[in-house]
Formats: sequence, C-alpha cells, structure tokens
Amino acid sequence: MTGRAQILSRLDSPRVLGYVLIAPAAVLLLGLLAYPLVLGVWLSMTSASLGNAGEFVGLKNYATILDDPIFRGAAGFSVLYTVCAEIGKLTLGLALALILNQRFRGYRAARSLMLLPWVAPTVLSALAWLWLLDPQFSALSWLLIKLHLIDTNLDFLGHAWSARFSLIVVNIWRGLPYFAIGYLAGLQGISKDLYEAAAIDGATGWQAFRRITWPLLAPITTILVAFSSIFTLTDFQLIWTMTRGGPTDSTQVFTTLAYQRAITSGQLGEGAAIAIAPIVFMIVLAVIVVRSVRER
Amino acid sequence: MKHPDRREFLHSTAAGIGAAALAGAFPAIASAADASPFKPEKGAELNLLRWKGFVKRDDEIWAENTAKFEKATGVKVKIDALSWPDVTPKAALAAQVGSGPDIIMGWNDDPFVYPDKLVDMTDLAEHIGKAHGGYFDTARTYCYDPEVKRWVSQPIGVTGNALVYRKSWAKEAGFAEFPKDFDGVLKLARGLKKNGHPCGFSLGHAVGDANGWTHWLLWGFGGKQANPDNSIAINSAETAHALEYAKQLHETMIAGVAGWLDPNNNQAFAAGQLGLTMNGISIWASAKDNKEHPELYADTANVVPPIGPSKQHTIFNNFTSAFIFKYSKYPNAAKEYLRFMLDTAQADPWVTGMVGYVTPALKGYADLPVWTSNPNITPYRDAMAGAKFDGFNGKPGKAAAQALDEFVIVDMFADHCVNNVSVKDAIAKAEKRLTTIYKR
Amino acid sequence: MFWRRLRLYGPLALYGVFLLLPFYWMILTTFKPDDELLRTPNPFLIFHVTLGHITGLLRETQFLQWFANTLFVSVASTVVSVFISYITAYAIIRLRFPGSEVVSTAIFLAYIVPPAILFIPLATIIIQLHWFDKLWALVPIYATFLVPFCTWLLIGFLKNIPRELEEAARVDGASNFAIIWRIIFPVAVPGLISAAIFSFTLSWNEYLYALVYMSSSTNKTVSVGMITELIRGDRFQWGQLMAGALIGVLPAVLVYFFFVEYYVAGVSGSVKE
Repeated sequence: MTGRAQILSRLDSPRVLGYVLIAPAAVLLLGLLAYPLVLGVWLSMTSASLGNAGEFVGLKNYATILDDPIFRGAAGFSVLYTVCAEIGKLTLGLALALILNQRFRGYRAARSLMLLPWVAPTVLSALAWLWLLDPQFSALSWLLIKLHLIDTNLDFLGHAWSARFSLIVVNIWRGLPYFAIGYLAGLQGISKDLYEAAAIDGATGWQAFRRITWPLLAPITTILVAFSSIFTLTDFQLIWTMTRGGPTDSTQVFTTLAYQRAITSGQLGEGAAIAIAPIVFMIVLAVIVVRSVRER
Repeated sequence: MKHPDRREFLHSTAAGIGAAALAGAFPAIASAADASPFKPEKGAELNLLRWKGFVKRDDEIWAENTAKFEKATGVKVKIDALSWPDVTPKAALAAQVGSGPDIIMGWNDDPFVYPDKLVDMTDLAEHIGKAHGGYFDTARTYCYDPEVKRWVSQPIGVTGNALVYRKSWAKEAGFAEFPKDFDGVLKLARGLKKNGHPCGFSLGHAVGDANGWTHWLLWGFGGKQANPDNSIAINSAETAHALEYAKQLHETMIAGVAGWLDPNNNQAFAAGQLGLTMNGISIWASAKDNKEHPELYADTANVVPPIGPSKQHTIFNNFTSAFIFKYSKYPNAAKEYLRFMLDTAQADPWVTGMVGYVTPALKGYADLPVWTSNPNITPYRDAMAGAKFDGFNGKPGKAAAQALDEFVIVDMFADHCVNNVSVKDAIAKAEKRLTTIYKR
Repeated sequence: MFWRRLRLYGPLALYGVFLLLPFYWMILTTFKPDDELLRTPNPFLIFHVTLGHITGLLRETQFLQWFANTLFVSVASTVVSVFISYITAYAIIRLRFPGSEVVSTAIFLAYIVPPAILFIPLATIIIQLHWFDKLWALVPIYATFLVPFCTWLLIGFLKNIPRELEEAARVDGASNFAIIWRIIFPVAVPGLISAAIFSFTLSWNEYLYALVYMSSSTNKTVSVGMITELIRGDRFQWGQLMAGALIGVLPAVLVYFFFVEYYVAGVSGSVKE
C-alpha cells in the first residue's frame, strides 16, 4: 500500500472521518461562539465598563438588575411579547398553511408572496410600519376615519399598552410566514389516505383536523415554536427601530435594555447580565426541543 | 472629491465674503496658522469617524476641506460617516477594543466615559482657543477634565436648538411678538390649540428632541439633576413646577407626542399640522426647499427659547467634539488635521455653507456674517452661549451620560404628562434611578 | 362553486392585505414626491409619480455597492455554512463516533445564543484577528448562527434517507467519501436547498454584526448602509429608504419564487416521522 492510499484508508474509518468532518464546525463554533460566550458570561460577573476592565464582583450585577424595576418591566414585556406573538403566529400561520395547502390558480405566487414579511430586511420593513403607525400620518387611521369607525387618529405608539400591542402585531406579521411555511411542509407529509378513511367514518372537517392534522403536526409545532420563541425573545431590530424601548421604558425587552446599558451607557457588566438573563428561558425551550427530537 | 468650482462656490454661499472679511480683519490668524506647532508624522494616514451631516453641504464642504489638508500635508484622511446616534456606540467599541478610527467626532460626555484612552488635547485646544477668541463655557465643561487637569477632547460645537413656530398662527392666537416668558409660551400654546394648530414636543425616546425641551423646562424652573459634588438634586420644588407646567403644556399638544422619535416633529411641521415645536434649524431650512408650499418658509420663524424663573438661558443642545485615541499611530497628524479644519480658512466656509446647522464652540465664529444674514439663523448662533450641559449642575462624565442615554429626565416628564403619575411619584422614580446611576 | 371560491379567496385576501400592506406602502413611498407623503387627499394613491427617489438612491449613495456586498456575503456564507453543516450532519448521523450525541446537543445549544450578547466579546476577537472592517469576515461570523440551524435541519433530513442506499454502495466497495458525495448528496438536495434558502434569508437580513463590525461605507450591507447613511439628523429620507427597501427585498423574493417548493419539500423531509 502506498502512503497516500494508507492515509486515505485510515481516513475512511468512521471514527477518524467523523472527527475530521465535524472539525470545521467545531473550530468555528468554539472560536467564534463558545469563546465569546464565555467571555460574555465572565463580563456579566465583573464591574467592567467601556474602556475599563473592572474586577470580579460575582453575582452582584444580577442582584442589581433583579432589584431594578426597569429590568423587571423589560423581563415581563419580553415574556408577554414572546407568548402573545407565538400564539398569534401559530394560529394565523397554521390557518394560512391550511389555505395554501390547496391547489388553486396562482398558488405558487401566493406562497412566495405570503412569505415576503419574513424575507424582507427587518429594519427596513420596521420603518415602513413606523410610517403606517405614525400618530399624524398613519394611513390606517386615515382609512378608519373615512369609514367613520374612529374620529381622531389612533395613537399606536404613544401609550404603553397600544405601543406593546402594536409591536406584538408587527412581530406576528414578520414571523407568521415562517410558521406558515413550516406547517405547509408538515401538512404535505400527512398521507391523504388518513383523511379519506376519516371521511368514510363520517368525520366532519373540524373532527378530522383535531384527530388527524393537529396530532400529526405536533412535532413540527414544537420545533417551530421553540425556534421562533428564541428569535422573538431576543428580538432587537424591530423594537429598536420603532420605539427604542419607549414610551417611558414600557416596550423595553432584554436585548434593547442590554444594548442601552452596555453600549450607549457603557455598563458592560450590567448589560451582559441583562443579555444573559433570557438564556434561562431559552435553555428551557431548548430542553423541550432536544427531548422531542430525541423521542423521534 | 472633485475640485469645487470657485465661482459657483462663492455664488452658492456667502462664504467668500465672510472669509475675505475675516482674513482682512484678523491678519494675525492667517500667520498664526503658518506657524502650526503640530507636525504630522512621516507617512501618516488618518481615519476619521464622524456623524453624517444634518445637511448635505456639511459633508461636502468637510470633504473639500479635507482634500485641501491632504494636498497641503500629504497626509491621507479616510472619512467614515454614521447617522448621529450611531457614533457613540462605535466610539465606545473603539475605546473598549483599543483599535479603530484615529479621530472620532462624538457627542456630549463621550470623552469622559474613557478619558484615559484619549490623547491629551491641552496643547491643541489651547492653541485653537487662543487663535479664535476662546471657548464658550459649556464647551470647556464638555472637554476639559478638571480631575486630571487636561483637555480630553477638542470642542467643535452644537447642533443648536431653538423654538420654531408659525408667525401667522401665533398672531392669530394674540402674539404678534413671540412671548418672552414661560407663562406667555403656555398662553400661546393654548391659543394655538384653540385655533387648531397645536404645538408638539416629543415625550418619546427621541435622543435630540425629547431631551431638548424637557431639560430647557427643568433648568428654566431652576430644577437640576445633580449638585456640583454629584449628589442628586432632582427632588425639589423647582422640578415639581417644571412638571406641572409641562403637564399643562402637554394638554395643548398634538396627539401622539409620547411616541415621537426625532423626525416626527419635522414631518408634522412640514405638513402644516404643527404651530410650535423645538428643533434644530432643519425644519426651517428644509421649508426653504419646499417649492409646493412657499408659505411654509415665509411663515416659519425661529426664536431663542425664553428664560424661565431661573433667570438664565437654559438651552440644551447636543454638543459635538473630536477626540484622538491613544492607540493612534499619528496623534500629531490628527491634531494638525483638527487645527486645520477649525482654522478660519476651512471653518468659515464650513459653518457658512451649512447655514447654521452647527454652532461652533469658538467665540470667534459667532461673528461670521451668516449668523445675521437672516433673523431666523441668529437664534442658532445663540444656542451655544445660552447652553447648559447634560447632568447640570453635576459633573460631566459617565453618570451624566448614562442618565441622558437612559432618558431619566424625559421619562420623568412623560410619566407625569402621559402616564398620569403624580408629580411626587414621577420625581421619586427619577431620583431612585439617578441615585443608582450615580452610585455605579 | 361560488361559496367554495369565497371560502378560499376570502381569507386569502385578508391575509394578503395584512401581510402585503407594508410592501404596498414601500411601493407608494418609492414613487411619491416627498410633499405628497405629508399632504395628500388619499394616502393610498399616488398623484404625481416620480422616479427621483430611485435615481437619487442610485446616484447619491453607494447603494449598488451595498447591494453587491450583501449579495456576496449572503451567497458566500450560505455556501460555506451549508457545506459545513452537511458534513457535520452526516458525521453525526452515520458515523457514530464516540461523542457524536454530545456534539449534536452542543450544536443545537449553540443556536440559542443571541447575537445581542455576543457582539461585544466577539468584537475583541475580531480585532485580534484583524478582521475588523473586512467584508469577508462576515462570512465566518454569519456561519456561527447559520451552521447550528442548518446542521439541525440536515440531521433531520439525513435521518430519513434509507440506510439501504449506502449499504448497497458499501457492498460494492465504495469508500465513505464516495458515499457522502455520490450517493447521499444527490438524495439530500431538497434538504440542502431548504437549508440554503434559510441561510440566505438570515444573512440577507442580518443587521447588528454588520453594523458593529463594518465601518467603511464601501463595506456596508444594504440594511446597515440605508440606516446609517440615509437618515440625516432628524430627517428620514423616506422615498430613498423605501426605494432601497423595495430593491433590497427583490433577490429574496426571486429566490423564494423559484425555490419555495423545494424549501417546503426539504423541511417536510426533515420533520417526517
């Protein structure tokens, strides 16, 4: 055996080849993800500020933020934002998938058009929404006034609850297509025979949905919700562009507050602690997904 | 940058006249410039990060001046520009990682957040100050660090704030002349509201606009965030008066101000929906370009915000200064660049060409003819002289910057005006937050 | 017939209005003169069409450069990430080497780390590597959030490819290399396409890393260039911003128009029971 062939045959052993194949991903993720993450966790346990390394303070930053009503508000809104947006995206996305799962004229165009919100750069579509929700120039207000449904412009972003509601709606707008396409994929994996059998048994459409469609979509539901929750819980662009956390910090979330504290005000340690806080929630989500993937 | 057509240049701005007049009036300056103490290092190259000009002419003239500098010294300068609120984080990142642009034109307390990362600017600041009539007090506060007893940054100026209103509508409301005190402003606002041309001042997280008017009122009533020793001083009868006044003013405002970011008042004013607001010169200046509605330009006027019970000017503007990082390999070239750019031959056309967007920190440039070429530009000249600094009357620095970045004052006003929080509770909340910030 | 149609097209129209309204708005604003944006008898119409915003965008800014940058970064990071993910997924699924379970869990956990906490510590590393303000540096940086997702998707997909395929090849004496490239790869194409589409979309939309790590105007991506250079002080240049948004959406629309079926098929294949 020549040297080259020998190397090749050794490489072909599953053990060696396995490590060779995962090497690029390992280098990448260890170097550019795990290492900075460890640095970030370390940072959250120091009194570092911009331009100042600080010193180790243990869990003091975490104690500080837990005592901070703005952080508690941000944590509360982050969870509310995520839960409401996920429910909205799930129901509306599933309904859209059921519609798009039919064959009709122009279904292909409809599928790609309906995906647009998820595809468009978020900062730019958030700007379009900013204008649609403008207190003075909102075209939505204009329309509602013309229809005599309201008398004066709606103040979408000027009050705590209306601003929160508006942001949740825009987030649903952005993420709904992601659910729709995922469910569409799930629906195409369900055999038509099942529905035919159900129809013979005299099941109504709703019964068929509850007994067949919904249970069979369970695995993809878990995956979609988990992934989308991670996105939503760490959303930054949308809120930063539209409200910057205002009015009066009512729409702060983990990431906007962390950015404000760490970057604009330079409190790196505290900012890092705020940024790391949602990881607790994410690990819970991750465990759910890993479990459900393993079970399969 | 292409060579500017000299004739067109003279035509389009009043710069030529101004420069000629000044060079004639102060021949000493021209010769002082020749004897610059700052000698660029051999083979120097500079990287400048600045904010994107509020008006295109700013960037254009800055680039022309830079080209002149490159020609005169052989030092190449690369300019990157970001929209203005994005510069502070970039500068902070540069300070943190110890690498980035040589010079950054930042905002407010930026240099105080990382003074030990910055080159000692004392020689430059004093040299330039001496050549151009000295600095306004606020500029010194923002750039001279009394603790280390040195200048940490080179003052440039402010994007000035003034009250902007519609003359005919004010007249209709009974004010042929703009009111001279806070009571008058409130009466005017009520009149405007009654006639369907309400005023509007941002109470959202608008970096420039919301901070501008709330600080004007707070200080105008004699309220202040901190004492000179940085003890918190927000809890006072004066602050309470300011909040009560703001609430009454808010009742006369157009709907939705709590959600306003910086562009909202410009847009509402341009659409003819707003009778009075506070802003930089951009509202008036862009009205000039509005060909479809010439009445907007003719009817818009700018005035220095009136003095309140505290009996002094209490304008809050965003202040900009240039600092050099110690990691820069060419600090002398960087200093020479700043000296060159702020020297009359460059600064005059720059300030003049922008028509009032930036009010220089140097007293000498308050005499430029552009400031008196139109009564609506003059208030912006005075934005620097009448200015206070953020965190007033505490020390400039990290804590003051953080309080500003976290909108503590703005949110206190918004809490009382919009969220119906009582005066006492709104102040208590701000006081608690300020205490935390100043303690860290 | 009518009722069936209504039941299909009625809800579809409602969805269309909700999902496409902001895009309609982008189109309107792109072709509207500035003044008409502020004063108009009907905001849903254009009374004087102008191309000024588009020409202004192309002439006064480096939009085309930003566009090319975004395209380069998106395509490159997609190709790199999908390649790395494919070989990683294959190794985890088929070459049951010691520790493959751990690797698979670790890769999934990597996905939950949000950029908002990483970008400061990551900046230190980027500077030390002299990657700052280098456009290609965004390729490995984007790969950090693309690889975990793509690997996870492909693991699901490869799992559902029958083992008989490669066992037959192995009997014929094919090496692992040959199996990876000649046997599995062609079958995995739908999964690879959906991973690629997903990666392309995320790279095309990324904002924070590009904002922080790129500083020269010539190295900016579309989102960053638009936001940092088209907002002058306190005035948004709405027309140009929306024109850029509209042009910025186009590539992704084209990709989806042609590949949406593959995408659905790919995801479908990876979540099958």
